[in-house]
Amino acid sequence: MPVQSLKNTDVIVPQHAPHPLLPFLQSQSQTTLTRLYQRPSSCLSIFRLLGPIERQLIMNLLWLESALSAATMSAWVLPEGKNAYDSALTVMTGLHIAPNSAVKLALNPTFKSGLRQAITGGGNTGSFGVPTDKDAKRQSANIENLDAYALERWETILHYMVSSGQGQNPTKPSQGVLYLLQRSGLMNNVHGAALQITSSGFQFLLHSPHDQLWNLLLQYLHMAEERQMDLVEVLSFLFMLSTMDLGREYSTEPLSETQKAMLEDLRDYGLVWQRKTSSKRFSPTRLATTLTSSSPPLPSSHSTGGSRMADGTGAVALSSGAAQQGFIVLETNYRIYAYTDNPLQTAVLNLFITMKYRFPNLVVGMLTRESVRKALGNGISADQIISYLTTHAHPQMRKNNPLLPVTVQDQIRLWELERNRLKSAEGYLYKDFASQADYEYVLAYAKQLDVVLWENMAKRCFFGTLDGHANVRGFIERRTGSV
Amino acid sequence: MEKASHLSVIIDLSPTQWHLSAQTSNQYPLSIETFLSQLLAFLNAHIASKHENSLVIFGALPGKSVLLYSSTELLSDDVPSLDANSYLPFKLVDSAVVQRIMNEFDAIGELEEEPPCALVGAVTKALCYINRITHPSSTTAGVAEDPSIVHDPRILILSVSPDLSSSYIPIMNAIFSAQKLALTIDVCKVYGPDTVFLQQAAHLTNGSYIYLERRDALLQYLIMSFLSPTSIRKILAVPKQDKIDFRAACFCHKNIVDIGFVCSVCLSSTHYLLLSCDLAVFCQPLPVCSTCRLATLVP
Repeated sequence: MPVQSLKNTDVIVPQHAPHPLLPFLQSQSQTTLTRLYQRPSSCLSIFRLLGPIERQLIMNLLWLESALSAATMSAWVLPEGKNAYDSALTVMTGLHIAPNSAVKLALNPTFKSGLRQAITGGGNTGSFGVPTDKDAKRQSANIENLDAYALERWETILHYMVSSGQGQNPTKPSQGVLYLLQRSGLMNNVHGAALQITSSGFQFLLHSPHDQLWNLLLQYLHMAEERQMDLVEVLSFLFMLSTMDLGREYSTEPLSETQKAMLEDLRDYGLVWQRKTSSKRFSPTRLATTLTSSSPPLPSSHSTGGSRMADGTGAVALSSGAAQQGFIVLETNYRIYAYTDNPLQTAVLNLFITMKYRFPNLVVGMLTRESVRKALGNGISADQIISYLTTHAHPQMRKNNPLLPVTVQDQIRLWELERNRLKSAEGYLYKDFASQADYEYVLAYAKQLDVVLWENMAKRCFFGTLDGHANVRGFIERRTGSV
Repeated sequence: MEKASHLSVIIDLSPTQWHLSAQTSNQYPLSIETFLSQLLAFLNAHIASKHENSLVIFGALPGKSVLLYSSTELLSDDVPSLDANSYLPFKLVDSAVVQRIMNEFDAIGELEEEPPCALVGAVTKALCYINRITHPSSTTAGVAEDPSIVHDPRILILSVSPDLSSSYIPIMNAIFSAQKLALTIDVCKVYGPDTVFLQQAAHLTNGSYIYLERRDALLQYLIMSFLSPTSIRKILAVPKQDKIDFRAACFCHKNIVDIGFVCSVCLSSTHYLLLSCDLAVFCQPLPVCSTCRLATLVP
């Protein structure tokens, strides 16, 4: 059996992976972005999405009235940080936060005043949401109810996806959600019948909730462009939600028409809670308020969800298990014990394990060749399975180093390699050369172009790639023509 | 995933020094009001950087130290009302800090002589606090992935008072604890002469000590030098002092001495030999060491 050097997935991700929203923002025009920067809450949220170096640079420039020469700023950069610094500047230029200039460094004036206002408070843009007065008659939704609501909505969507291929009939999410899932390519209807999950849908299920959420919201943004919604309003509403305080009610009065229409969609996704559809007030859920943070957006469904103190400050409680979502124990004998009673988690696990027993709070299964190959066939990669098992590992497992048994990790990867024994490539076969010299001459040329995929000296033929064909053909023609 | 960072700020709130600092005879007068407004902008910038960043503020007042604000526990029940133009966490910090400082100043009252500021008390409290949040209770062991767990604690001391030579030993002890916790102590000397002990504190914990020359540019100093967590300091440099006063205070009279005498007997039992500052240091040769009570050989 070929032994491969397998890379360890437990290493910490180097550098800060850019947030999925940033490329989208960078593709927007300068006017759109400048309009967006007029709202302090948007500035603050975008600032938070940026990497640590960008943030420090912005802060360094924020309170300067005049531009700073680029040489002065780069004098602060240590030699080993040069690349990181340059790429940070590129990101800032792409977002039009700092205009592109090799000499001077300064912030976009709109962004500067927006972020300054966010930090010092004041102004009258109302960009952090207008709160409503306490309603004496009706009790506003408390944090627990909001969490339960968000969780229920979100799991409905995921559960629908995961069970679509198994002939079950789970609760259908609303039409808007279904359309979004279809648009994003996570599900499609092959035979014009029911929606079926696609391979990217399977991959989606194994992502962290935070990634899933942004994934869907990005699709929503693309859709908003097509629906002729004003992108600035859509984005600034999302950013406003992300700076709101969990457990409070806000008024819908100051919202624009677009944003009111969005409320309905966001309600379906579980980002916003409203008592009635016609209600004049709404509350953001944890899904919304953690949009720009990395804390888990959903309380794990089998803990009590009291991971934060109910003081409404959004402060993270010190010792609570905010990340105690781990429930999977994986043994070296490929057995998996999952301490969960959540049908969604069970269903996700079912994608790549063979279930053995089910108890009220425990699922036992095996990672088998068949089950993993089924998952691989669905488009899930070995790395995704391993990273899912890693992120959801039980606290007991965290004492192990490495976290997952190496044998199991390697075996999963080997099962994946098994499937990749054949590689297909389109191209052309060149054969029937007149002489060996002819053959070698053409082959040498093709090798120079780096287009040879396969060659056989004895049969005097070789196989070249599709894009190399025009050149090789031209070469042969020129040669035969000249002879 | 980028980790959250923790910042403990210690504000030296000596009324006398702040009064002196606000005098217009200074080149750049700085009153405590201006100082606080700039400091609050800096604190907000820290909270703004990351949702999970935590912040604790201690005040060193004459004779006592108090916790002014903590992002992990609510000190008072009155949550300020929401308003549509400001971000709630910022507002919480601002109102809590200002309110508490006002209360503490009011409580000081008329004093014959101002007792020295309890800077060491505040540093010790900050150390205890960091120790608590970096070592969560055993029940949650294993949640290493929890983003709320702090990985990069820092202490920032904003000092206005001069050195208090009697606090040499407690300060050195605090520095050693900080080294053990692998945290960074940054010092910003806002007013008054350089302090020897805080220079050493910053140097020994790999932090930066800054003497504020242009005091009207306080905020820019704070942001450029003290906002970045240690991971960023490897890329964007922060200023460090070029010369450090390593002088120690003698154990007998608490004077800062140029030439010290070390007991040749208990030297061997000292833990921090390398640092040469935890030794018992005397300003003159003594026949009997006051620490180990053994007769020493006077050369």
